[in-house]
Amino acid sequence: MIFRNCLPSMSSKLIVPILFALATATACGGGSSEGEQVLNRLNDTEIKYFTNGKRLYSTHCANCHMENGEGLGQLIPPLKGADYLLNDVGRAARIIVNGAKEPLIVNGIEYRQPMPGNTSLNASEVTEILTYITNAWGNSYGGVSLNQIKTALSTN
Amino acid sequence: MKMWKRVCLWLVAWVAIACSSPKNSRLPILGIPEYKEVNGKIDTLYHTVPNFQFVDQDSALVTEATVADKIYVADFFFGTCPTICPVMKQQMLRVYEQFKDTPNFAILSHTIDPEHDTVAYLKDYSMRLGVPDNKTWHFLTGDKDKIYQIGSGEGYMVPLGENEDAPGGFIHSGAFLLVDKERRIRGKYDGTNPKEVTALINDIPKLLAEYEQ
Repeated sequence: MIFRNCLPSMSSKLIVPILFALATATACGGGSSEGEQVLNRLNDTEIKYFTNGKRLYSTHCANCHMENGEGLGQLIPPLKGADYLLNDVGRAARIIVNGAKEPLIVNGIEYRQPMPGNTSLNASEVTEILTYITNAWGNSYGGVSLNQIKTALSTN
Repeated sequence: MKMWKRVCLWLVAWVAIACSSPKNSRLPILGIPEYKEVNGKIDTLYHTVPNFQFVDQDSALVTEATVADKIYVADFFFGTCPTICPVMKQQMLRVYEQFKDTPNFAILSHTIDPEHDTVAYLKDYSMRLGVPDNKTWHFLTGDKDKIYQIGSGEGYMVPLGENEDAPGGFIHSGAFLLVDKERRIRGKYDGTNPKEVTALINDIPKLLAEYEQ
């Protein structure tokens, strides 16, 4: 509004620096990086899981697997595009809770860093995390149900 | 109308100031300096990192002589750390990628778990991280007491310690320390915070420039 009011009254000499400043402000401000796309493949309950899962992921997983799900070099496996995760979500549920001591192969690369378990997480929370990690960053697994995860965890 | 003009000008000035950073400001010198009287004049003695001797991932001896003509970034980690280390290493990789071919620059990453993190382990760790050689980035192990000593108030001034209750068994700082050629600490950045690491990446050329004048 300010600019609309002041622009007409100003000489062209002044307009140039103002435009420059605006461009600078835009560049400095940066855009929102919260670019999660609307998830058409999830129903309302699953979208709630996804949202809670994102929060839980930040707390319990992102330190090692990173906010972008890409892991760390060949030390910590990625979750983004990870065959090991997407091929067996029940197995992933058990690893989230119990951890992993043995080396595992993700997308053809062997990872040997042990993963600590998260024994404090309950089946609902594991379902939420899995809904998030199997549908974030371009992963497109679809819905994960609580029953599915309860069954997977009971076959420990 | 005149007032609007003034408002616009102030706005432009404000944006310009807010977005620019002072170009010629020197980085601060951290730590408490000592003042000593020499021949009736007051001399300022800044805090410096003491001499050290560790071994890196290629079994090379790394001492103060290794960084005698370099500025460097130091941090502390351990290989099996389940908390902040992976993020720190992700962020240190950004620093490495930016400055790996810069002469007079080095990175010293000290393990605080030398019993587990042997030379062979650190070699595997660094290779898997994507660091093929020890040209710029040294992953250091050595005498445990000496590592903790250099991390303490005598050296980098960061909290380190063994603690059974901490995840992974150790507590340690996530700080990245920027050190100049005189081994004075010129910046401390949170290595788990991408914005602070960006500040570090911006400060490194400033510190290098101090030696070009």
